[in-house]
Amino acid sequence: MDLNLNRADYLQVGVTSQKTMKLLPASRHRATQKVVIGDQDGIVTCFGMKKGEAVGVFKTLPGQKIARLELGGVLNTPQEKIFIATGSEIKGFTKRGKQFLSFETNLTESIKAMHISGSDLFLSASYIYNHYCDCKDQHYYLSGDKINDIICLPVERLFRITPVLACQDRVLRVLQGSDLTYEVEVPGPPTVLALHNGNGGNSGEDLLFGTSDGKLGLIQITTSNPIHKWEIRNEKKRGGILCVDSFDIVGDGVKDILVGRDDGMVEVYSFDYANEPILRFDQTLSESVTSIQGGCIGKDGYDEIVVSTYSGWVTGLTTEPIHKESGPGEELKINQEMQNKISSLRSELEHLQYKVLQEREKYQQSSQSSKAKSAVPSFSINDKFILNKDDASYSLILEVQTAIDNVLIQSDVPIDLLDVDKNSAVVSFSSCDSESNDNFLLATYRCQANTTRLELKIRSIEGQYGTLQAYVTPRIQPKTCQVRQYQIKPLSLHQRTHSIDHSRPMNTLTLTGQFSFAEVHSWMVFCLPEVPEKPPAGECVTFYFQNTFLDTQLESNYRKGEGVFKSDNISTISILKDVLSKEATKRKINLNISYEINEVSVKHTLNLIHPKLEYQLLLAKKVQLIDALKELQVHEGNTHFLIPEYRCILEEADHLQEEYKKQPAHLERLYGMITDLFIDKFKFKGTNVKTKVPLLLEILDSYDQNALIAFFDAA
Amino acid sequence: MLLPVFTLKLRHKIIPGTVAIGRYDGIHPCLAAATQADKVFIHNPHARSQHLSASRAIQSPLESDVSLLNINHAISCLTAGVLNPQLGYDALLVGTQTNLLAYDVYNNSDLFYREVADGANAVVLGTLGDISPPLAIIGGNCALQGFDHEGNDLFWTVTGDNVHSLALCDFDGDGKKELLVGSEDFDIRVFKEDEIVAEMTETEIITSLCSMYGSRFGYALSNGTVGVYDKTARYWRIKSKNHAMSIHAFDLNSDGVPELITGWSNGKVDARSDRTGEVIFKDNFSSAIAGVVEGDYRMDGHVQLICCSVDGEVRGYLPGTSEMRGNHMDTTVEQDLIRELSQKKQTLLLELRNYEENTRAESNSLLSEADGPRGIIPANTKLHTALSVSLGSETQAAHVELCVSTSNDTIIRAVLIFAEGIFVGESHVVHPSIHHLSSSICIPITPPKDVPVDLHLKAFVGYRSSTQFHVFELTRQLPRFSMYALTSPDSASEPLSYVNFIIAERLQRVVIWLSQNFLLPEDTHIQNAPFQVCFTSLRNGGQLCIKMKPSGEITVNTDDIDLAGDIIQSMASFLVIEDLQVEADFPAYFEELRKVLVKVDEYHSVHQKLSANMADNSNLIRSLLVRAEDARLMRDMKTMKNRYMELYDLNKDLLNGYKIRCNNHTELLGNLKAVNQAIQRAGRLRVGKAKNQVITACRDAIRSNNINTLFRIMRVGTAPS
Repeated sequence: MDLNLNRADYLQVGVTSQKTMKLLPASRHRATQKVVIGDQDGIVTCFGMKKGEAVGVFKTLPGQKIARLELGGVLNTPQEKIFIATGSEIKGFTKRGKQFLSFETNLTESIKAMHISGSDLFLSASYIYNHYCDCKDQHYYLSGDKINDIICLPVERLFRITPVLACQDRVLRVLQGSDLTYEVEVPGPPTVLALHNGNGGNSGEDLLFGTSDGKLGLIQITTSNPIHKWEIRNEKKRGGILCVDSFDIVGDGVKDILVGRDDGMVEVYSFDYANEPILRFDQTLSESVTSIQGGCIGKDGYDEIVVSTYSGWVTGLTTEPIHKESGPGEELKINQEMQNKISSLRSELEHLQYKVLQEREKYQQSSQSSKAKSAVPSFSINDKFILNKDDASYSLILEVQTAIDNVLIQSDVPIDLLDVDKNSAVVSFSSCDSESNDNFLLATYRCQANTTRLELKIRSIEGQYGTLQAYVTPRIQPKTCQVRQYQIKPLSLHQRTHSIDHSRPMNTLTLTGQFSFAEVHSWMVFCLPEVPEKPPAGECVTFYFQNTFLDTQLESNYRKGEGVFKSDNISTISILKDVLSKEATKRKINLNISYEINEVSVKHTLNLIHPKLEYQLLLAKKVQLIDALKELQVHEGNTHFLIPEYRCILEEADHLQEEYKKQPAHLERLYGMITDLFIDKFKFKGTNVKTKVPLLLEILDSYDQNALIAFFDAA
Repeated sequence: MLLPVFTLKLRHKIIPGTVAIGRYDGIHPCLAAATQADKVFIHNPHARSQHLSASRAIQSPLESDVSLLNINHAISCLTAGVLNPQLGYDALLVGTQTNLLAYDVYNNSDLFYREVADGANAVVLGTLGDISPPLAIIGGNCALQGFDHEGNDLFWTVTGDNVHSLALCDFDGDGKKELLVGSEDFDIRVFKEDEIVAEMTETEIITSLCSMYGSRFGYALSNGTVGVYDKTARYWRIKSKNHAMSIHAFDLNSDGVPELITGWSNGKVDARSDRTGEVIFKDNFSSAIAGVVEGDYRMDGHVQLICCSVDGEVRGYLPGTSEMRGNHMDTTVEQDLIRELSQKKQTLLLELRNYEENTRAESNSLLSEADGPRGIIPANTKLHTALSVSLGSETQAAHVELCVSTSNDTIIRAVLIFAEGIFVGESHVVHPSIHHLSSSICIPITPPKDVPVDLHLKAFVGYRSSTQFHVFELTRQLPRFSMYALTSPDSASEPLSYVNFIIAERLQRVVIWLSQNFLLPEDTHIQNAPFQVCFTSLRNGGQLCIKMKPSGEITVNTDDIDLAGDIIQSMASFLVIEDLQVEADFPAYFEELRKVLVKVDEYHSVHQKLSANMADNSNLIRSLLVRAEDARLMRDMKTMKNRYMELYDLNKDLLNGYKIRCNNHTELLGNLKAVNQAIQRAGRLRVGKAKNQVITACRDAIRSNNINTLFRIMRVGTAPS
């Protein structure tokens, strides 16, 4: 069955955070539901739809930014009490809008995530988890990395309290009381958790998770160990998942999974006979989807997916057909309704425009006086800077509540800006005088009208570090721009992993000296991505990393006064050595650096590179042949005379070309890494081989693995 | 929503910009396009049975309804249409870098095959001005040529640079067609037969032109801009990061006015209203669009819009009925409108809130440095800009300097300049390092051409620690001759070359022109004639002197003939002079030109010699081959081997000869371009009738190979009678 959903916009509120919109349970079967949504101005709005018009139920006064909104109530009754987390406070409202709870927690940081189950309240700030029962502090846990979301397995079914934390370091932490039961590794940084089927599935222990790199999975959290059920890889390179819900939109009696992503994608997965999820529907909205829920809003009897977006739109994707099959008169009425809406909007606009003009004049006048000052409140920018594992590049995503006029990108390190198909902004690279002004890249993106979201792709080089700045100017008067900074770290292409292969030949770098644990940790934060800013608890800590481009690994183990770094890639060790000694000198700390180089590791790294290089070379060769082969095909009319290899190329032509297009400059990057490896190998020996680099490039041009290894050995 | 009425998948690649539909037998429309390996394919879906089989065309082995035409040269342009009205069917015209072929597909014969020395970058077919037979007009290396159906050269003129696009359009509304020419020097020129009636300067190479209706026409640039002109005024333009591959005018929404259909390099096709540029329809292909044409391809009496992609996908669209008006995008236009209005409302509300917060902030305390991060600045902060000429220093070349400064202690974090045509991209950014922040920034600008440019400035103003900045936006115009610095008159270094002419204008008007087009220091005053002003070019240090006598006689001294032309054209348009004859002498340039002309002759003779040589060699080859085969039949292997060895050597010689021929040809092209440009430049020194006279006379002089006359014409503007 084909799922056909039509978009209907209901209302716009202020900018919203993740998971801040819910549907109140319907009062009777198949009646329309009310929407309750909290925005970053601190306003909770509750409304229902009547004849295509949004009718407000209540609206609270502005306050601090609302981070979460959840529904609660006595277990096994309709969950219709509204709870919001703002700052370090929890507020409760009845469905009529009467405030019945104001609970000031003792948290010093503002609350990031919240879960409510009966009288149990689970909260988390950046690193701290707290469990309250009837507003009394029960349990506490300090996580090793940032907590993105929190959930508790259904108490009413399992009769035990099992909170689960989704942490930035790619694990779910399962707790009991104040203690960690076990950690579950997930394929990416988890951003959202939801109970499967809304109730934990058949076992009551099934948990859905979504990650910031767009993966979705189901895990059963038993009392002793996790069972991975399935996982959907993000093949289409869509955005990170922000919200998940279970609702039977297809209407086959089985609840489907609704997914909202930060690139505006809304997806519906339903289950086949083997209980495997399959994608049934997808649609793009133009901005991040912050909350999603299935229900019925617009018209009773028609189910829909209700989503809220970053800029505060509440939108329904409804099963109600736009053109009803009833007579032509009906359609006319709908049109009439639309027209009324448009004209009322227009008159409202006119009124506003007049008011704005007045204010503008006043503002202009104020600029005459010498005492007055001009302050413009900051607009909110939703930004994300993440490393993509697939092509070892960074994505910078900027989202503003109003249309963006232009974005200036400035960087003080050499990086490449890649073209992204999705964005339509006109890019222009400006010349920059790097010596005097520290500019290596200056580029402007001039956005087309109505662009609120801009996605850029950036390729960095390991060992070259600095800051990337984005100056965002939205299309709003008075014109202002905001600058955002992003660190390009020395080992920018590394990613945290849970385990590494210890059998590989490793090079070791050992640091000793008079430095504290916090200091050595801050160096790690400086060098590597995905390290928590706060020094973890304990005296000694070990992190594992993987190079996303070459698959080489790094193990870092440090404590007060000592740091040991092991990697199978000499270049990684060399970069670490340079950066760490520079950092230590800056702080006037005396460091003893010793290293142990394993000659075999070079050959090992080359072997790791070999299949990638060979594949790329072959691909390049094949792509080169496609045009000529196609011409032969046209000329001869068939391909029977070709050798099977060529016939194969012709058959796969489209696929090959696509693959080739996807990885621009891949070969050059590999060449660069091999050159670095070559230089670094000899740097540790104390010889400078820069003069031999042209020779190396010559060998690479006519690549042969043995020749290359021989060259590395001989030089 | 408009859906394609037919979709075809041809198994041939299509070279962008070379698609045409013609009725080559007078009845059935066929699609012709250039494909790989220097071939043209003709898709003939209606007459499957009549196979074309003869010398040139061969049937494609892949599809029964496609025939291939071998051209053997890289195809640069292609069109179809009525060339000989008596024939009653269309001819196919194929242009390459060396020749033009007019081909009769139906009879499978050549109508004519002409060598064109200037190459054919673009071709258009139709009637031009008062010339009655339809012409195939090709644009090449600075030259335009028109041929009738017998291949007679009925039209020839020169233009400023390499031609990239051509179109016929009734520009001045006299019922006759004028020729629009888009060239590499960013100019769109309008030729009324061989007279230039208008020139519009754009910001990039003009890649396509198409006539819309009346005097309205569409254009596309190589930087992704498309737009519509009405006469010399631009109606609208939009810029995309993709490139427009093909544009076409077609009435897709049946409102009686054609829309501008654009095929983009990312596979998008869109139709934009001719008045506003608003998109009324769009569709996506999986690969870049190669061409957009129209024709009754289904032969049901309705004309379809036909779009072809480079991969050979063809889609046809029928225009929507007039009831569907406004509904081509989607059924949810109202929804979109509501969304747009709400967005607007939100923006206004936000602005309102900004002012409210501002007044609230104002009522709080005094300004302190601590307010820096929030981007609070004194409300009376003003931004000053000043343009001046800097003669440069040892480390920096001479340039125009734009100084931006604030009126108080606030700093400028960065300056963005958006301007077209003077930077590498469309913008230039100055972002000083955090240690060098100050309240003023000087930006060197070196415009590469003498054109007036609007500089759109955006300056980010705040404090050192700010994360939010105020954006000051303003626009400054860079005068046309900003790259010339005023110097004191010095007769010793005065250039020998000059242009001399008399105008009947008051001195003040000339002074106003001077101050508007040059960056003069503020204290410059010119009171009365005679006066003399001297400038130095910042690009090459060349001198420029402008003298005016009380009689209205003006002398412009400069060695740069282009500059002299620019000055005269600029002055003429400012002072509204319709006709201007001048006396000019550029000894150095003329000497150079003389050398070029001699070279052209040489290259021509070399070319002939090489051709003769080649003919000889090919005869030899033929005889060698026969003799070798004879020897083989006689089983005299040794002789055969020798013959083949000789053949091999000869082949090598031929290849070498070909290389020489190629080099010779490129040299020849370069020199021909120089000659064409010289004529164009001589024309630009005059205005109106005198200009056309010069161009015509120069052309005649070159035809009759009378070099001395040519120079005389360039000097005084007329041929000696």
